[in-house]
Amino acid sequence: MERKLLKQIKNEWRSNLWLAVELLVVSVVLWYIVDYFYVKINQYNYPRGFNIDNCYLIGVKTLSETSADYIAEQSWEQWIADRQELFDRIKRRPEVEYVSVSSNSYPYNGSNSGTWFSYDTIFCKKFCVYRNVTPDFVKVFKYGGTRGETPEQLAAMLERGEVLMSDNVFMYDSIRVTDIVGQGLYMDRDTTVTYRIGAALNEVKYNDFGGWGHDMTLVSSRDNPIMGNEWCVRLREGEGREFIKNFMADADKQYRIGNLYVTNVRSFDDIRRNYQMFETNTIRNFCVGMGFLLLNIFLGLFGTFWFRTQQRVSEIAIRKVNGATSGDIFRRLIGEGLLLLTVVTPIAVAIDFNIANMEMTSWYNGSYLSAGRLAICAVVSYGLMALMITLGIAIPAFRAMKMAPATALHDE
Amino acid sequence: MQTNLLKQTIATIRQQPVLSIVTVTGTALAIFLIMVVVMMQQVKVAPFSPESNRDRFLHANYGSIVSINEGDGWSSNGPISEKSAKALYQSLENPEAITIYQAFLETAVAVLPGSNPVEADLVRTDDTFWRVFDFRFLHGKPYDKAAFDAGLKQAVMTRSVARAVFGTDDVVGREFNLDYTPYTVAGVVEDVSTLATAAYAQIWIPYTSSPVDTWNNDLMGRLRVTILAKSSDDFTAIKEEVDRNYAKYNEEIEPTGWKFVSRGRPYDQEVSAIAFNASGEPDIKGDRRQRFIVYLILLIVPAINLSSMTDSRMRQRVSEIGVRRAFGCRRGEIALQVISENLLITLFAGALGWLMSVVFAYLCGSMLFTQLFSETLNPPSVDVSMLIQGSTFLWALLFCFILNLLSSGIPSWRASRTEIVTAINGNKH
Repeated sequence: MERKLLKQIKNEWRSNLWLAVELLVVSVVLWYIVDYFYVKINQYNYPRGFNIDNCYLIGVKTLSETSADYIAEQSWEQWIADRQELFDRIKRRPEVEYVSVSSNSYPYNGSNSGTWFSYDTIFCKKFCVYRNVTPDFVKVFKYGGTRGETPEQLAAMLERGEVLMSDNVFMYDSIRVTDIVGQGLYMDRDTTVTYRIGAALNEVKYNDFGGWGHDMTLVSSRDNPIMGNEWCVRLREGEGREFIKNFMADADKQYRIGNLYVTNVRSFDDIRRNYQMFETNTIRNFCVGMGFLLLNIFLGLFGTFWFRTQQRVSEIAIRKVNGATSGDIFRRLIGEGLLLLTVVTPIAVAIDFNIANMEMTSWYNGSYLSAGRLAICAVVSYGLMALMITLGIAIPAFRAMKMAPATALHDE
Repeated sequence: MQTNLLKQTIATIRQQPVLSIVTVTGTALAIFLIMVVVMMQQVKVAPFSPESNRDRFLHANYGSIVSINEGDGWSSNGPISEKSAKALYQSLENPEAITIYQAFLETAVAVLPGSNPVEADLVRTDDTFWRVFDFRFLHGKPYDKAAFDAGLKQAVMTRSVARAVFGTDDVVGREFNLDYTPYTVAGVVEDVSTLATAAYAQIWIPYTSSPVDTWNNDLMGRLRVTILAKSSDDFTAIKEEVDRNYAKYNEEIEPTGWKFVSRGRPYDQEVSAIAFNASGEPDIKGDRRQRFIVYLILLIVPAINLSSMTDSRMRQRVSEIGVRRAFGCRRGEIALQVISENLLITLFAGALGWLMSVVFAYLCGSMLFTQLFSETLNPPSVDVSMLIQGSTFLWALLFCFILNLLSSGIPSWRASRTEIVTAINGNKH
């Protein structure tokens, strides 16, 4: 049976060559897309290290000097006191659970700050996001420590002037921050002051698609964090639906303090969507591209086999006369397509391997390629293509199967 | 010959209806998808109001400063201050106009006393802004140089903001409160799509009327620059002039310990569209290569498909070809016949695909065309003038020709090489 199938493939080698080339090209491209998804899905599923459910960003601005309401000669103390007052008033709202003020710190934020710091003589080898925040920031976004520290405990550490660092900050020197908790850290090139490392944080991702050493952070609560421009709140469970509307309705009466005023409230779901447009678009485009390629396989196989079964009417009829069942005919045709795919797959995998070797794939978990990743992605793309081949051939094969030998051999 | 060709093509389609449908679908789908990809790039670089001069724009959306003493290793990347913008760019002599305006949108509250506040996207600009970008003014006019220099509290707003605040369009001369400061409406413009990434806002005011803060020794701030060159041929000259300004300005600011690095700025529209990161130079070659690969894949895969099908069709017509060859038809003519027949089908399917892409882009534009990231919650609006560009149509036509050549090249060559005797004999290989 198998030998016959091979012979048949050989007989139709010309049109099979077209199919084989197409399957090869699509195989490689499809593998590339599947590999991209493999990385993105894994990154997405890696714990974020923060939580934005029910969190909102309140836009607070300062009056322009040209405004009639502007208070010109305000002392620094008054300026801080106004901000503290706004902070307290927001905190007193019944829906609000926690409030924080920070600079370049909230998640899905394109701006970042950095700072100089070292542990003994060891520096961080990659960019580390410096988050200067009021202590409740870690409660708003539910940061967690590697030893199971709760956001409340972490906030208390910030309150005491300690700093928090993600566990991976010194990973390139093979030091886990968890192992140096309690020790001192120098900051701002000043080696006369040490800051106690309060806890090691679980990796805090920069957005949904990071993780595995991509993102490092240092959290502190020094340098007047209340001066920051990011006002974030977490609402209590069950609150939220009408928050933006209700808050803005009170904005003018309750939150207009000194030179400060509130402009808008935005949910973190919106901020996240806006920030990740590029990623979500790329994913969508790749999905469409994958659909297009699969559809092409379907059309190609469908067209070729439609024609082929037309040409082979008499052959199929003779086989039927000699006792082949309809199922045999159907399987033979599908088998032809799948065998072609199986033949090109090793070549495709070899090309895939080279593409990954040229570092054209996504960097993930320390490499551009691993045997497991290649295997999983190759199997998935093989499966997808096999499915389309079966669908494409099924229609003409079904037609061939239904053929009555007498009609088919009529001309003979 | 021409009518003959048409007849023959129609006959071919009729003979194999299923194969023809597959061929047309495959081609239309390929052109459809390619055109969507082309349009996605077009909305970033092709001109439409108020950015009709995109081909003459050079943008400096950000600036970068680094420590003079490399050991310090500090750097700051982002929008710049008015002082830096003026020193680095506004003093250029070559360009037609240079505008300095706010880099990131700001949410502002516009309100008529006693009514509901309206949230709007605000941008502060200079007066040249209105020359560089061609807004469609419905009422009034932009604030002029005198108003800008005097820091007058005048504003230009979009029609939808005017309606939300005042309930009507024609509100020139009326007063409203913008962030607790009274402003007068100087002009009302047609709404701007968020896809106009430089010109987009809903309210524009002179930046002299409401000062913008600065930091890093007054070097960095909240402003960006767009240069309108007289012609894109001047880009190199302008960049050279910019480099000289960098050198001069760096001497001037030496006491601050900072120096500006250009990172290849200012960027033309194409580069600017991918300049996501303020701290690095965009890889335009990589971006172009990526686009080229996408086009290639979108063309090659359907081309292989179509080749296979054209080849099948030719095998059925092998005896016809044999007869024609026997009567003295040259090989070239046979090949040309196959290619032209195929071209007719490709053009028909291509037109279908192109039409589908325009309709699709128009209906799903807000989902399809998005920026790298968005600062506003307003979705992008798309109008037909953005989508139907002369160049888009030429691209579609070009892709049809390429697809046709790719898909009928080998079959036509094979068909024309058929030996007369074998052909008439009906031996198909």
